[in-house]
Amino acid sequence: MTDEARDVWVYLQHSKGDLTKDSLEALGAGRRVADKMKQSVVGVLLGDGVEPLARQAIQYGADVVLCVDSPAFRTYFNLRYIDAIFAMIQKRRPYAFLFAANELGKDLAARIAYRAVTGLATDNVQLEVEDYTNPALGSFKDLLVQIRPDFGTRLARIYTPRHRPQMATVRPGNFTPLQPDPKRRGRLEKFEVEDRDYPARVREVVELPPPELDLSGADVVISLGLGILKDGSGRPRDPREAYRLAEQLRDDIHRRYHMKAVIGASRALVHAEIKELEGLISKANQVGQTGTTVSPKLYFALGISGALQHRVGMLGSGKIVAVNTDPNAPIFKIAHYPIVGDLYEELPKLIEIVGEKGYAS
Amino acid sequence: MLIIALLKGVPARTTQVSQIGGVLNREAMDLVLNPHDLKAIEAADFLKRRIGGKTVALTMGPDMKLIPLMKPLYDAEVMGVDEEYVLSDRKMAGADTWATAYAVSLGVRKLLEMHTAPIDEMIETIRRSGYSDTVKTKATALYQANLLPNRVYSDLPPVRDSIVERFLEGATDVEQAVGELTKVKESLSRFIIVSGIKTTDGETGSVGPQVAEGVSELLGRVLPHATYVEDFEIDDAATAVVSERKIGRLLQKLEMTLPALLTISAEYRPRECPAALQPETRYNNYRGKILQAKKWTADDLAADEKLLGLAGSPTIVGTGIDVGKPPVQKFLNQSLAFLRPVPQVEFEGKKYGPFEKGQLAADIPQGLAIRFREDGSVGLFDYAMLAGELFD
Repeated sequence: MTDEARDVWVYLQHSKGDLTKDSLEALGAGRRVADKMKQSVVGVLLGDGVEPLARQAIQYGADVVLCVDSPAFRTYFNLRYIDAIFAMIQKRRPYAFLFAANELGKDLAARIAYRAVTGLATDNVQLEVEDYTNPALGSFKDLLVQIRPDFGTRLARIYTPRHRPQMATVRPGNFTPLQPDPKRRGRLEKFEVEDRDYPARVREVVELPPPELDLSGADVVISLGLGILKDGSGRPRDPREAYRLAEQLRDDIHRRYHMKAVIGASRALVHAEIKELEGLISKANQVGQTGTTVSPKLYFALGISGALQHRVGMLGSGKIVAVNTDPNAPIFKIAHYPIVGDLYEELPKLIEIVGEKGYAS
Repeated sequence: MLIIALLKGVPARTTQVSQIGGVLNREAMDLVLNPHDLKAIEAADFLKRRIGGKTVALTMGPDMKLIPLMKPLYDAEVMGVDEEYVLSDRKMAGADTWATAYAVSLGVRKLLEMHTAPIDEMIETIRRSGYSDTVKTKATALYQANLLPNRVYSDLPPVRDSIVERFLEGATDVEQAVGELTKVKESLSRFIIVSGIKTTDGETGSVGPQVAEGVSELLGRVLPHATYVEDFEIDDAATAVVSERKIGRLLQKLEMTLPALLTISAEYRPRECPAALQPETRYNNYRGKILQAKKWTADDLAADEKLLGLAGSPTIVGTGIDVGKPPVQKFLNQSLAFLRPVPQVEFEGKKYGPFEKGQLAADIPQGLAIRFREDGSVGLFDYAMLAGELFD
């Protein structure tokens, strides 16, 4: 049964005539696992007037784009989209199916997985391919290894050995899109679906203003944790001091290196709802599993111990600088540049170097 | 109106997690109510105040742990929940989201049947016995068991004109009474399920939409769902909800005919309920609360055991892995690094290098390291070097 299933499918989200960044990442993730499995990548594209996007999908790694292009699909409506995608699965029997782990991807994937009677591993931060043997179930070749944050202090490998497709959502910011290749070849296949009546309808869609703080799009994220409440000797400090220092670092980096820098925060700091930080730090700043996943070029973790839930939200960062008084803080396990010390002493030194002297080479 | 809130017990502390082969051993841990579920309770409470009916908390897991956990919910918010049910069976243990959604969907079906069957019983009794004490006895028994809404029968002084009362007074005939009861039965089929957006242990957010699908399959009708609902309103006749939720940078208003399922976001705040609606909601309410949670097993649910628990779970949790360490770590003011490029050197008959600026002075003999330090080619990794590596 399961052996007939073929190809790695990727659901393609789009906005204003372009595939979204999340979808390009999912496409990159799909391409990499499909190559290891020696299978094709099929992009699944639904919408109205979306055919031209197939070209883009192929440049970014799709071999085939399976497309429903119809006015009925102009607006995202979960039940209609789920029916269409499920019809595709029934007809074509994919081996694996990836979605971006955002509101839309999760909305679709969960219900589709239930209807298709298959497993769904959400929020994967890595994907691998390996042969898998389980004493009770037997051996399976080229299984998708779905790696996601586990409860506790580690990542878990999730397998879907017996059911197809192996469904996974991939967390934005953890996978790199391929370099677009205009010479890549692929083909477009149209898929027809019957329209039906639904006990629901989309009444209205309103575009929200862009967020004031674009954490996921920043080059540099300077994040603060509960450590800012005390200095190295354990004396309480006004956390606004740390915030001002972070601001200065942010502005200096921006001025001197023209990098887009923003201030982030740990979940613990956001949830502590500290009076002094009102209007400065909010949920919008939160980095981590329940906040925003970021993968900037440069990440500063200041006074953040680095619970797994935080680490999985910033693991993809290019270079990680961590300042903490506790040499055993988990953040130091992943920091490229661990600084064991009091952030109220270290941060001014960092600012001085960045803002004034720079690198004396 | 049946208002069903889906709840989950999650480990109280991340430091005290007990796992057996990748599956949480909930029996061995202190559990707390999933914090996200409090929003489902708020939404259920709002619905009860707005429309009336019965709020039911439904959960799955070890009953010995969960029943004490759910007790405070009888007094939660304004109205508190009216009844509590725990799906508890060893056969359900180790379930992934699919197998969980399957069991919970069966629980929802059972709740629905449990509330529509008494209406059928009343219809049958009225048909069979006509104007008789049997009708009153039956109605009283079902009402006392909390299984008939006040609209059908009640001993509350303000609800004088229940369907049964008017029938017994001769105000309606058999067909009229049956017609009214059929309408009540139809209204019960327009139930609503609310849940949190996700749990703090699995963090998947999948079970809500999967229950919508599971219930759809069991009932043979499509149950729409909306995830991450930040706001919703329901019409006075309780036929549809309009939910508001964010999808990326879009705010979508989705109108769903009931029955439907909503997962409630942390941003949700219940709306005001006009006091003028209260008399109407009273008709939809039931007698009161049943302060003893009820346990249902796989047999009670008429479940296909192959689809329950670990055995019914398509996914398998493999071995865990530690979050990766970067290949090279440079500790500020601790690590020794090359302060400038150094060409290849010979030391005690072996060749070392060449070394790049910034490279860690590791894996070189102590004698050589001392020489490098003395001639200034190696030093402590300091802020100037750090700034160079970060920004150049």
